[in-house]
Amino acid sequence: MKRWHIRDIILVTIIAIFMGVIFWAIGPVYTILAAALAPAGLQPLANELLLGIWVMAGPLAGFVIRIPGAATLGELLGAVVEMFLGGIWGASTLISGTLQGFGSELGFILTGYKRYGWFTLVLSALTTTIVTFIWDLFRSGYAAYHLPFLLLLFCVRFLSVFIFGGVLTKLINNLLVRAHVLKD
Amino acid sequence: MNPSLKLTLLILIALEVSFIQVWSVNVALIVVSLLLMLFNHVSWRRLLWLTLVPLFFASALVWSLMLRGDASTHFLIVIFTRMFVYVYMGGWFTLTTKPLWLTRSLEQNAKLPSKFAYGFLAAFNLMPKIQAEVATVRAAALMRGEVLHVWSPRLYFKVILAAMNWSDQLAAAMTSHGFVEGAPRTHALTVPLLARDWWIFGISLLLVQVGLFVGLP
Amino acid sequence: MATVTIQSLTYTYPKQSRPVLDHLSGTFPTGKFSLLTGVSGGGKSTLLKLIAGLLPNPDDTTVTFDGQPLNAITPTDRAKTVVMLFQEPSTQFTMDTVENELRFALENQQVPAGEIADRSDAALAFIGITDLKFRKLMQLSGGEQQKVALAIIVAMNSDVILLDEPFASIDPPTRLVLLEKLVALCNERGKTIVLADHDLSGYQQWVDHLAVLADGHLTLLSVDETRARFAAFTPQRLQLTHVQLPSDQLTVCLQGTALGLAHSNRQLIAPQSLSFYAHKTTLITGPNGSGKSTLFRALVRLGHYQGHIAYRDTDIKKIRKRRYARQVGLMFQAAAAQFLNVTVAEELALSQKYGNSTYFTPERVHALLDQLNLAGRDEQVLYSLSSGQQKKIQLLCMLIMAPEVLLLDEPLKGLDYASIQAVMAILKTVQHDLDLTLILISHQLSGLDALVDLHLQLEDHQLTYQEVRA
Ligand SMILES: Nc1ncnc2c1ncn2[C@@H]1O[C@H](COP(=O)(O)OP(=O)(O)OP(=O)(O)O)[C@@H](O)[C@H]1O
Ligand SMILES: Nc1ncnc2c1ncn2[C@@H]1O[C@H](COP(=O)(O)OP(=O)(O)OP(=O)(O)O)[C@@H](O)[C@H]1O
Ligand SMILES: [Mg+2]
Ligand SMILES: [Mg+2]
Repeated sequence: MKRWHIRDIILVTIIAIFMGVIFWAIGPVYTILAAALAPAGLQPLANELLLGIWVMAGPLAGFVIRIPGAATLGELLGAVVEMFLGGIWGASTLISGTLQGFGSELGFILTGYKRYGWFTLVLSALTTTIVTFIWDLFRSGYAAYHLPFLLLLFCVRFLSVFIFGGVLTKLINNLLVRAHVLKD
Repeated sequence: MNPSLKLTLLILIALEVSFIQVWSVNVALIVVSLLLMLFNHVSWRRLLWLTLVPLFFASALVWSLMLRGDASTHFLIVIFTRMFVYVYMGGWFTLTTKPLWLTRSLEQNAKLPSKFAYGFLAAFNLMPKIQAEVATVRAAALMRGEVLHVWSPRLYFKVILAAMNWSDQLAAAMTSHGFVEGAPRTHALTVPLLARDWWIFGISLLLVQVGLFVGLP
Repeated sequence: MATVTIQSLTYTYPKQSRPVLDHLSGTFPTGKFSLLTGVSGGGKSTLLKLIAGLLPNPDDTTVTFDGQPLNAITPTDRAKTVVMLFQEPSTQFTMDTVENELRFALENQQVPAGEIADRSDAALAFIGITDLKFRKLMQLSGGEQQKVALAIIVAMNSDVILLDEPFASIDPPTRLVLLEKLVALCNERGKTIVLADHDLSGYQQWVDHLAVLADGHLTLLSVDETRARFAAFTPQRLQLTHVQLPSDQLTVCLQGTALGLAHSNRQLIAPQSLSFYAHKTTLITGPNGSGKSTLFRALVRLGHYQGHIAYRDTDIKKIRKRRYARQVGLMFQAAAAQFLNVTVAEELALSQKYGNSTYFTPERVHALLDQLNLAGRDEQVLYSLSSGQQKKIQLLCMLIMAPEVLLLDEPLKGLDYASIQAVMAILKTVQHDLDLTLILISHQLSGLDALVDLHLQLEDHQLTYQEVRA
């Protein structure tokens, strides 16, 4: 299996920062969405809807770099960068970042880092959703929600992760393959 | 305090706080972090920001939990204060820790392989270029008659190509500046790891444990 | 001290059929300044990277340093043998400040901690940039960054120094300073220097044999042939002889009022009134880091500015972004930033779809590609083109879009002499036929004389129109 080289480490970090920058660019959307949904008690939905973009660095790094640990490192470094750039959630970002990354990593682990196609992406989206959801059951007290609402949150989160971390990642991957910078 | 130890302490406490529901410990942590920040001359604007943002999100979450769930008041207070613990502790950490110093400490004290330490720094220092690139890609597309959205694969495609390009250039430049993966290096500046650091680390952790133990119902 | 010997070096990029370098041989002797030139895409960058060990060389005995292949030298000593200074100034540093970068390089060489400070200071003093020691690298201008890169090479004390178009985006005065330092390294310290460049101005007094890389081979020109090549770059050829002060009859297309530019508390252009004139070609010159690119970014609404900018009497902030982007276009300093697709053909097709397709018929585009020596590359991936080839495709794409005002940031960067001639001819024809407004930034002036009508100079935070000086 491939080992980490300095170029890969720099690449994964730059990708993580790029994703952070894009996410910041839509920051206002998130705040407005959250504020609009808050009065109805639906603020977590804003989070679920946009979570896909935030966790995209994981599958993207996993696809582009194809070394065990790439997805985890991608998300973790994204969190580190966010923390130092004035992201305010501090250590909690670091923990969430690691878990989100590990969630998508699981998808790659389960396919043995051998398949880089649809199957892996769907699997990775699913594992990301499950892992991060379990974390939120504790951290954000999701465990106290009524079951139907909890299911709604879960489904929305899966859809978001699937669309951004799955479909979009695959489309990006196709372009990169055509540009000869990635193997099919 | 030694940055690596400080980071470890921060993560350990954050992990514990995420799982255990003792609001008095949360409040104690908030007060201590706040004092530490004031002691280190945090700017008022930053402090206001660090307060208003979690205030909004914590209130919205608590409100949502009240409407859509069956949480006890005790649980709601825990969740509410927890958000502030994360933010204030994080605020104290970033206020008192320089990324470069932390990376040096991770390399020297925590034995992080130097390729990770310097690979990360190299990318981190490219920050202004990276920020400008996203705007540039979108503007370049507009000039050619295309609009790129957050969901356009081409936006990410371009961004990743730029990332690959820069990482190739940076890696080549590091090699050219004599960096060899895994080779021994000297250190012009050493990050101290003193007995005092270990004492602060141990006692802080112990205090939190005691608090959690006493506070548990 | 080391002599570089190349023996029968052949290199083919993966997935390519034709070798870029074909049984190439040559020597770069100790203590000599060797200048390497050749057409765009001839393989200069490839050769330098192979010498520096930055591209995997299938047969490592073909490149030797005093008889030793690079692989036989222990990894930590390689940087003492050979280093490379790159074309792109900003992506060659690891750390945040000049001082830290010097530390980093010397730590890599395992210089004892106690010696690092002295060696750094000596190197900075040698290049004459002691005052930059504590500055942040990312906030330095391109020219300053290249000076720092050179100081690091001096500190590392490497024997062979390779430079790949190090001056491509450097202003002429800085270029001369850097060149003098390089020559001093050769003469005083016996370094071997190999420098690749298209712009041959300023080398005449230092170099007597030019090395030309063409068709995969390296040829050393005779003294006379070398002189003939230099002739096109004599100072007389680099003057603007047609420029005039703007007259009252000209129409203003872009008007800045109390227009000022700043970057992180540093004022680049003090608030001033500034007019650009329609259907003319305006050249902007000025030192590195003075704010030329920043001005262009402001004109296309990509950055903050003080005061107002109006396009045909409407404040540009009041025009819809999409519409404005089609009227005022910018050819970016970095070519790759302009591309949106994968292959050359796709990129051109995109421009033809939205651009001025009645003028740029497929036949015309084909002829232009021929003229630029780019025919037959339709299916090549854009990002694997050489830097000069990318620049030419980039220019073509923006010309086909034919916006009313086209801003060109260093359009000649990295182009060989023949390409510059071709580009100038094309720009002149298209500008004339479509009545475009062209505004260009360039450090390199060779060949520009026939095209330029107006000349704006940026100096001391102020932009002023110039006329021919007697
Ligand atoms: N990674 C790559 N894959 C495939 N072909 C490549 C790659 N890099 C360069 N080439 C091709 O190899 C040839 C030589 O490129 P190189 O960059 O060495 O030229 P150059 O002499 O430095 O040109 P310029 O003066 O424009 O910088 C070009 O035709 C280019 O298209
Ligand atoms: N995003 C940024 N943040 C901070 N400073 C910046 C940023 N972009 C540019 N600068 C600084 O602003 C100054 C002007 O930059 P600009 O690119 O406009 O110079 P220029 O005149 O185009 O120089 P060159 O001839 O080297 O291209 C430089 O000193 C640069 O370091
Ligand atoms: Mg080149
Ligand atoms: Mg510029």
